[in-house]
Amino acid sequence: MRGHGVLGSAVALCVFALAVTAGGAAQPVGQQVVLPGPVPYPTDNPPLLGRTPLPPAYLGPLLHISSTDRVVVGVGPDGRPVRVVAHQRLLVHGKGDYQLAISVPVEDVQAAAGSDSEPGLRTDQVLWAGFSPGRKVLAANVTLRQRAAGKYLPVHLRLRRAGDRVTLTVINTTPTAESLYAGTTHRAELAGLLDATRRASLAGQRLTGAYATFFGRVRVPKQKVPIEAPIRVEGELRLPGQAPVPFSRTLGDGQPLGFRVEAHGSGTPHVRLLARPVPVVRLLRPPGAATWVDAVRRRPLPAAFLLRRLLETRMRLVRADQYQSFLSDPDADGRSRSVYEYETVAASAPRVAAAPSDGGGGTSGLLVVAIAVGSVALAGGGLVFWAHS
Amino acid sequence: MRRSVALLAGFALIAVLAGGCGKKSAAPGGKIVVAVDVPVTGSPYIAETIKHGVQLAASSTSSGTGGVLVGGKNYGLKVKVYDNHASARQAVENTRSALDAGAVAVVTDGTGVQATWQLAEQKGVPICITYDGASGLVDPAARPNVFRIAPTNHGIAFRYAEYLIPKGLKIGLLHDDSAYGQEGASDLDRAFSENPRSVALRMTLPAGTADLSAQILRARRSGATALLVWGQPSTIAAVLTAARSIGWNVPVYAPPTGSDPYIRQRLADHPSWVDGLTFASSRLTAEVGTTPFENFQSQYESAYGVDEVGVKTAGGKPVVQPPEFAMYSYDCVNLIVAALTRAGSTDPRKVQAALNQVTVVGANGDERGFNQHNHEGVVDDDVYFARFHDMTYAPVKDDPLSSTLPAIPQTR
Repeated sequence: MRGHGVLGSAVALCVFALAVTAGGAAQPVGQQVVLPGPVPYPTDNPPLLGRTPLPPAYLGPLLHISSTDRVVVGVGPDGRPVRVVAHQRLLVHGKGDYQLAISVPVEDVQAAAGSDSEPGLRTDQVLWAGFSPGRKVLAANVTLRQRAAGKYLPVHLRLRRAGDRVTLTVINTTPTAESLYAGTTHRAELAGLLDATRRASLAGQRLTGAYATFFGRVRVPKQKVPIEAPIRVEGELRLPGQAPVPFSRTLGDGQPLGFRVEAHGSGTPHVRLLARPVPVVRLLRPPGAATWVDAVRRRPLPAAFLLRRLLETRMRLVRADQYQSFLSDPDADGRSRSVYEYETVAASAPRVAAAPSDGGGGTSGLLVVAIAVGSVALAGGGLVFWAHS
Repeated sequence: MRRSVALLAGFALIAVLAGGCGKKSAAPGGKIVVAVDVPVTGSPYIAETIKHGVQLAASSTSSGTGGVLVGGKNYGLKVKVYDNHASARQAVENTRSALDAGAVAVVTDGTGVQATWQLAEQKGVPICITYDGASGLVDPAARPNVFRIAPTNHGIAFRYAEYLIPKGLKIGLLHDDSAYGQEGASDLDRAFSENPRSVALRMTLPAGTADLSAQILRARRSGATALLVWGQPSTIAAVLTAARSIGWNVPVYAPPTGSDPYIRQRLADHPSWVDGLTFASSRLTAEVGTTPFENFQSQYESAYGVDEVGVKTAGGKPVVQPPEFAMYSYDCVNLIVAALTRAGSTDPRKVQAALNQVTVVGANGDERGFNQHNHEGVVDDDVYFARFHDMTYAPVKDDPLSSTLPAIPQTR
């Protein structure tokens, strides 16, 4: 239930709405411009939304709820999701009443092991009501409507067989186009903000509100940039009688948004994959110094580069935070964590594609995204190189 | 000229305002019948309070909004009251009559629901239980038309286990041989099954017997240090009489029947014998405070007067009974009204389906509603414990939920 919505993607909106001008036109004065994070989220989903209006909710003033979602995705022989079940565990801290409704495209819900209460079900709503004597576990297995939930999963898989070769393609599907903004700024201040953002990211903390000082006009370039949630994926592709092919990558954070794994042999391939949103690490690493402040002291990194890096990394952290709540946490200030487990569930062999001799059959989406990210990384790298030269 | 323009503008404004104030009234749709099946001649207090709750909700609907808006038509609510004499056979007859009268829903204390639900289900008519908490009565899968707003036996039994076992008491689990007592006993057995060492004895008492001295003597000799008595008000009064008359000040715990005025009336000559009696029921107030319930109580008393218990405090103040069960039937009717509106139809099947999807603010300020998996309007967590002192009761302080609840004024 954190702030989200398509309008949320208009970062510029926040920028101008919250800008505090110092007044006076005689000389250029700084204006405090709000930076991305912790909200709003750039898209409506996730957390998933149902179609029905929610009844009034109540959460006692002394109560806090943290949420952990384990999203189990059953994939078919072609790698597409055929079943999505979210195991949500809400931990209620404090003494008081709660009446909660979670909006979600739900088919069915059952109490999960360890739950202190039974969930209720309405059309597109999971309900909880009761009293917490100090601590209470509300755990449910929420069977989601696959078509409604599947399109918001952070990773898509494709399995193809050509002869004795099976190819698994894994793609980060979280990128969304967002607006940046530009203007005249203080390099030292931006460096300090980058360091603060980096500390929060490495500590796994949610962003807190932050401002940067702009002098003169704040511009919003027409061209939007793709912003992804960095996703860590680990797993294996296995064929009967063959050694499993393990993989472990971070998709995003300046690295490609997809990859392929191949295995050889006959029989039905089996995939297991664990995906989780992770902090921004690589893009927040200061060039040639321990901190961004030191880096700026050593060489004059352009303020435009620093600003863009600050905005993009904060947007990525917001996007990653968004995917930490696949199902809503009824406590807007609660801590949410989500992991996504994919596993093949169909016994039949994957759909046999026409033998793609050049492998071109499944490249389009992956390559487009990879090229886009590559070019962004190259541009960033070029700036760093320029700064070092 | 300027004056006439101003005058014209004034008229125009008045015309606009008048137009805005006008209310488009929906076409009249006739009457919607809500049947009330209660033991008028079996348990008059329960019957009266349930009936009054239904009537109060129906009259509030009529006076507040001019009726129930269903599919563009405005309907009045008509309440038809049937006396089931606390007899399942009579409840079946009454249900047939109610269905013949076109009832869109039946509100009942719970008498005979084991037999009546199928009759009602044939026409898709929902039944709302507002007193009997017996397990098995409500089952959304097997009995999709049965709903309940009342504390459940299951919830009360398990809350008692949670409350009493940590006290290290040796509990005598007593129940009478009425249907109410036997149903409660089976829930108590389940609740205490994992802690058999907490139970000193189990005993069945004859319902309606005034003298239980032999049974209570046996309970005392078993080493019991507390009695949990699941039975009719008369049974609880008889247990208190038998125990206190031999000087045994054992703590006595009871289900919601422990708050029945009958017990205090019966023991009016020995008010100290009631002191310490603890009963479990559903909380009367929400975390938002006492105001919603007090408003409801005020409405109730304006319409029907106070429910006098018939006893006085030591200070001579008359004791009154808060309209607890009226609150449940009141909420039940409001949910039926919300379901009618949502369904946009008076077809009972559509109303029944809509009951799974609507929520109303209950008389105590809590949200009240059912859902596809749960037809219980009172969650087990809301069971609290109250203890009598000086003929009135207050929430106990040694239970996490109860300790947060305020006492409801019970004197006038």
